[in-house]
Amino acid sequence: MSQITEEISVADPDLDPETWVDRYGDYLYRFAVARIKDQAVAEDLVQETFLAALRGRKSFKGRSSVKTWLSAILKHKIVDYLRKKYREQVTNDTDTITETVNGFFHKNGSWKIRPGKWNMDPSKIYEQREFMDTLFKCLAKLPDRQSKAFMLKEMEGYSTKEICNALEVSPTNSWVMLYRARMFLRRCLELFWFNKTKEENS
Amino acid sequence: MSHWMFNCKKVSRRVSESMDRNLPLYQRMLIWMHLLMCKYCTRFRRQVMMLREFCPSHRLDENSLDPDVTLSPDACERIRQTLRSSSAITDLPV
Repeated sequence: MSQITEEISVADPDLDPETWVDRYGDYLYRFAVARIKDQAVAEDLVQETFLAALRGRKSFKGRSSVKTWLSAILKHKIVDYLRKKYREQVTNDTDTITETVNGFFHKNGSWKIRPGKWNMDPSKIYEQREFMDTLFKCLAKLPDRQSKAFMLKEMEGYSTKEICNALEVSPTNSWVMLYRARMFLRRCLELFWFNKTKEENS
Repeated sequence: MSHWMFNCKKVSRRVSESMDRNLPLYQRMLIWMHLLMCKYCTRFRRQVMMLREFCPSHRLDENSLDPDVTLSPDACERIRQTLRSSSAITDLPV
């Protein structure tokens, strides 16, 4: 979080926290509800966002608007909330994947665990709550920084530079983290969603 | 040691990297040539692209937010109170 507040420095004089709730409260709340689908949690996250902004206010130097700054803080809060929520659900989960990236390949670099076929209609999959639950549970099984890098990139649309600032890594490291995350998630979905639905349908 | 374009592990790494930055043209061409020869890397590429599509934010932009969703007056007041008390603790004027 400190990286966000240090990264952005002030151009907007509107840094009076008293005005934040009226100006940005509804926008941030809508944003959080759209992602979390839980109004009580969304309220809490908006409040936490304002509190974090209050603490980091002095270091906000305004290369972006206050709205963008607050949104960036909220995005981190949402990612942290989702990781924590699904982490708790998979603590006792026996479905694990032990392969590292090296484990997916033979020594000569050819596939050892080959990507299987995914038979489904991608346009319909989003509507299935169980699928999203599986995706988030797979994310929760990843190492913290890999899942955070993936969520910031693919769910919040962060650029490489923003991910590097948020996680304090080099661009090359961020690409490696995202590669590992994608390798794992692809396999995890294959095992715990696509193969399972195939079994159920056969 | 053979060239990376014949190595699925290295190609898969570059396929992923191509989703995060613009690779030089020659690298993209080498990937493309590998994909023509390798159905598993082609499948890998399609599936990690789908992984991106599955992620909720790609269907959420500012215009898709519901304008009728607003903080209740009670919630607004509660957040203001929290900010005021927190400001007092951290000695920041609100």
